[in-house]
Amino acid sequence: MIASQFNNMKISGIAAAVPSHHVDNMEYADLFGKETVEKIIASTGIKGGYVCSENQTAGDLCYIAAKELMEKKNIDPSSIGILICVIVYHDYVSPATASVIQKRLGLSKDCIVYDINLGCSGYIYGLQTVCSLLQCSSAKRALLLIGDTTSKTASPFDKSRMLFGDAGSATLIDKCDESNNIMRFGLESYGERFKAIILPAGGYRNRNRNASHERVLWGDGNTRSDYELVMNGADVFQFTLSDVPNLFEEYFNQFGLFTKDFDCLLLHQANHFVMKHIARKIKVSMDKVPVSLDRYGNSSGTTIPVTICDKYGKDSCSGKIHALMAGFGVGLSLGVADMTIDAGDVYPVVVSDDYFEDGAVDHATLA
Amino acid sequence: MTDKEKLAKLEEIFELDEGTLKATDVLAHLDCYDSMAALSLIVLMSDDFGKKLTSAQIQTFVTVQDILNYMD
Repeated sequence: MIASQFNNMKISGIAAAVPSHHVDNMEYADLFGKETVEKIIASTGIKGGYVCSENQTAGDLCYIAAKELMEKKNIDPSSIGILICVIVYHDYVSPATASVIQKRLGLSKDCIVYDINLGCSGYIYGLQTVCSLLQCSSAKRALLLIGDTTSKTASPFDKSRMLFGDAGSATLIDKCDESNNIMRFGLESYGERFKAIILPAGGYRNRNRNASHERVLWGDGNTRSDYELVMNGADVFQFTLSDVPNLFEEYFNQFGLFTKDFDCLLLHQANHFVMKHIARKIKVSMDKVPVSLDRYGNSSGTTIPVTICDKYGKDSCSGKIHALMAGFGVGLSLGVADMTIDAGDVYPVVVSDDYFEDGAVDHATLA
Repeated sequence: MTDKEKLAKLEEIFELDEGTLKATDVLAHLDCYDSMAALSLIVLMSDDFGKKLTSAQIQTFVTVQDILNYMD
């Protein structure tokens, strides 16, 4: 585990966005069989998720969340010195989606802007990255955007499709003078298991291997193409059951912390079965674990900010929350963190189908 | 642990009635043996037998007896 601690950083705002179209997983009953679908819903706890339109991207959802946050907090765009996007399903192969959003938000040129390619561990890694950048630069404020649209790359004939939902988020982090604002992180990565969750084609590794868009039956009983997401459920589950609790243990030992120190445990919303097992292993009662996956599904790295907005975004919520959190997934990558969040800085999940029309670029438009 | 006790544990996680699972049963022919059952099997191996069951290992299981042997 690589440990980090920051004593002068503060989360000063969190917003999240989803598209309006909600898919109820029972809609898959005709395709996969009613009994199978009911069993998956019962064990994963995922009843459905939001799915964006063909035109809308993860970048759009992040932009919508960022715009909401900046308007609500009355943030001057020129005050943002760091913009990091954690997005797998980016707008273009190149440039970075962060560059596009910098333009859309009207941020100054005096800004560190780039993307990170991470999925479910993305919120923890993203926060650690922006805190590190703030610590060692003249920037005083950072915007961290996490979003994904897994619906675009999960085969409609793959049962794991029922687990995913699309969402975007924005988190504002400020450098502050208060030395009691502690943010801690513990990060790990198991690159040796890079095949456990993979989208094989579309990059440059498999270009000469006749990667196909044709959907065929795979050994796991699901039908998909080489351009669609593959997850080895058993190996990923083994990882969440052993490596994630082990990281928590190392984290608690490193920083001298106990589970009773925290008001809530924000777990990546992979599925309810996984969440219950992690909570049980680290001896945290499930009533301390907010759940949003029943309605939002697994939106990759976005699940933690979505859960925060879903749980604490209501006007009635106030006060400081000492949150312990963990993200884990594709890589395989994992991270644990703890920090204090003021419920007053958390906004409800926004629903919008807006997309960036000027983003349509091809031979006809780029003259 | 006897085979009978092991079978009882498998019946519990596969949600089968007591005494209905046999060591000779072929897993592929069991309706209850699906991807979710595999996850329950991973939990059982971890909690009760201290074993880290991988997907590669799961794929080698043909009959219930193969799982019983792995529990040793």
